[in-house]
Amino acid sequence: MGASMPIDPLPVFHRVAVTAVGVISPIGVDTAENATGLKDARDAVSSVTAFDVSKCRSKTAGQIRADWQFPMAKAGWHRASHFMAAAMTEAHAADPGFAPELAVIGTTSGGMSFGESFYRSQAAHTNARERASWLANYMPQKAVLDALGACEWSAPMQIIANACASGTNAIGHAFHLVRAGIHQRVICGGYDAISELVFVGFDSLQAATPDKVRPFDAQRTGLVLGEGAAALLLENWDSAEERGAPIVAEITGYGVATDNFHLTQPNPTGIGPRLAMERALDDAQCEPDTIDYINAHGTATTFNDATEGAAISQLFGERAPVSSTKSMMGHSLGAAGAIEAVFSILALRDQFLPPNINYVTPDPSWTLNIVAKEAREAKVRAVMSNSFGFGGTNASLIVQAA
Amino acid sequence: MKASIAGLGWITPLGADLAQVKAALEAGHVAETRPVQNPETGTIHLCRAVPPKLVESLGRNPRLRRSSPISYFAVAAAIAALADAGCASLSPEQAARTAVVFGVSNGGVIYTRRFYEQIMKQGANAASPLLFPETVYNAPASHLAAALGIDGASYTLVGDNSVGISALHLGTQLLALGNCDRVVVVGCEEIDWIVCEAFHEWRLAATPLAEGGSAIVLEKRGPLAVETRAGISFSSRREAADAFRHAVGDWTSELIVSGANETFVDRVERCALSADTRWLYPKRQLGEAPGASALWQTILAALNVRANTTPDALVPVVGFNQQASCARVTCASHRHLRTSNPSTGVSESQDD
Repeated sequence: MGASMPIDPLPVFHRVAVTAVGVISPIGVDTAENATGLKDARDAVSSVTAFDVSKCRSKTAGQIRADWQFPMAKAGWHRASHFMAAAMTEAHAADPGFAPELAVIGTTSGGMSFGESFYRSQAAHTNARERASWLANYMPQKAVLDALGACEWSAPMQIIANACASGTNAIGHAFHLVRAGIHQRVICGGYDAISELVFVGFDSLQAATPDKVRPFDAQRTGLVLGEGAAALLLENWDSAEERGAPIVAEITGYGVATDNFHLTQPNPTGIGPRLAMERALDDAQCEPDTIDYINAHGTATTFNDATEGAAISQLFGERAPVSSTKSMMGHSLGAAGAIEAVFSILALRDQFLPPNINYVTPDPSWTLNIVAKEAREAKVRAVMSNSFGFGGTNASLIVQAA
Repeated sequence: MKASIAGLGWITPLGADLAQVKAALEAGHVAETRPVQNPETGTIHLCRAVPPKLVESLGRNPRLRRSSPISYFAVAAAIAALADAGCASLSPEQAARTAVVFGVSNGGVIYTRRFYEQIMKQGANAASPLLFPETVYNAPASHLAAALGIDGASYTLVGDNSVGISALHLGTQLLALGNCDRVVVVGCEEIDWIVCEAFHEWRLAATPLAEGGSAIVLEKRGPLAVETRAGISFSSRREAADAFRHAVGDWTSELIVSGANETFVDRVERCALSADTRWLYPKRQLGEAPGASALWQTILAALNVRANTTPDALVPVVGFNQQASCARVTCASHRHLRTSNPSTGVSESQDD
């Protein structure tokens, strides 16, 4: 045995409140627009215009509308900073008394398009005047610094880059820190902005579709990319109540699993998603039949939906309604888990099930209760939100009504 | 937040053996530089590279066959640290209670630049699907988890050159949360001409850039303690000094393992920390590897405490555009340290 060097004692669990949220997605630029868009089953996928996609199989993405920008943006900001600042300031406005002790934010590519610009400038030896600005605004931490600054907040940052699970990992880790009493208030979320490199990357893997995105459909042919950001303010429940803060939801469970099968392909048995979901249920100390809705990762790639569909089917059967909101907005990578956590909270708040649009043909490989085509009114008390990514990262979150 | 250091491992431009690299640093050896050229313009940059023989045995690992050097550094450093911790291979039960935290700044930049170069020169339809997955920040952590058989928590953190301390802090949080018994904290970086030109543009390249990896195994019990603070963010270099003073707080130490790299960082450290203390400057000899350097500093601090040359050591880290952080290494068991070999810094006895 090693000499005793005890770390802080094991935590007593505290309830964790979500006091406010903010979100910007291709469906809408704030929470209200997103709620309306989800209920209207809005298809927010459109043709890509930001860069040349003529040599790509896929030519569409979910994009924040081109005429939108964050009103308090500073010169030189990357689009990612606009997104993160929009989400964070919306959450801040909804709970102005919140002062974060820590920011845990997920992303996959930061301000990648500025890195692309820098490469083009250096390779062509053009000495573009903007080079210094591109570099200063390229790093993944910059969007978070900008957003914190827009809220006049200062907090240490943990920027999690766990591929497409980043947003859910960020929320889940923040949840655990507050539940354990290590922090009282943590802002968490995720962001990503579409870039040419990442778009072509998914296209090169033939993971992106030239067709409509059809999660869980037997005829699915792949994903479309998306972009956006979301922020959630997490606080110790008692602390939030004491200061009279709004409480919009409670986070109760978080599970992770690492699937070592392959860098980009999930184990066909579905063990990664299944372990993440089981661990989240254990963490929340609840049974599968208490989950009223599953916001699936549902990218519409052959492999993801096969493994996730099988895992959901094994754990939940046909009882829990399932949808992938990526069918409406595309896959926003590091932002996806955070945006979908906010969508889960909207489902709890407004008592409805967001739809899985473009769903036509059931896949005979599993039996799932898909919320096809249109939103449904429903009694929703607990939601599971899934995110899975490259590198075998699997994460599941459980959110319950306040 | 506090945890115990159970094992140390590094892959540096001066070697990979803990005692030998420490001795080389004490003897004033400086790692050789290697030219890295922008083929488009012919511009040459000098960097401190890892000798290829240090990681060549990993080439037989099928997961690493097509991967970038950064993944090799991650796996090699982690294996070395686990061996130093006395668990060269994890049993399935140990792996189930082990987490990975990987810190990085620039990431898999070689494949990222090559992939985008293909898009620009040959067109999007010619871009290689073999390159793209390795451009993702968490690709090295994925290879590492696979190599160690870890199926639980794995977190990749990105940031400036304070990210190593952030990774230690996250590792300590994971231990405190009680979901694991051991965390392998790894920090790595690789070199490409595009990064050299970025750091040159940023006036951060006075100290040559370096590549390599570092790993620290954290456990709940062990002979050395490491304490971290979450870091203080700043949005301009003018704010860095205040942020750093807050990060250090009331911590003092008999040894400072500096992050000085011949930039504004040197001035910030000098203003906040005592000049009367003994200082070490590893970046002067190893170079600046943003994702790895803070953990190299921490490892050097731990080796000195382990060798009983100091009761504690401070690791100041001022990031280039994100946050200032600090770690402090102390001995948890003087009885243990008295039986360590002071010439190598490697512990010879086991403790109570």
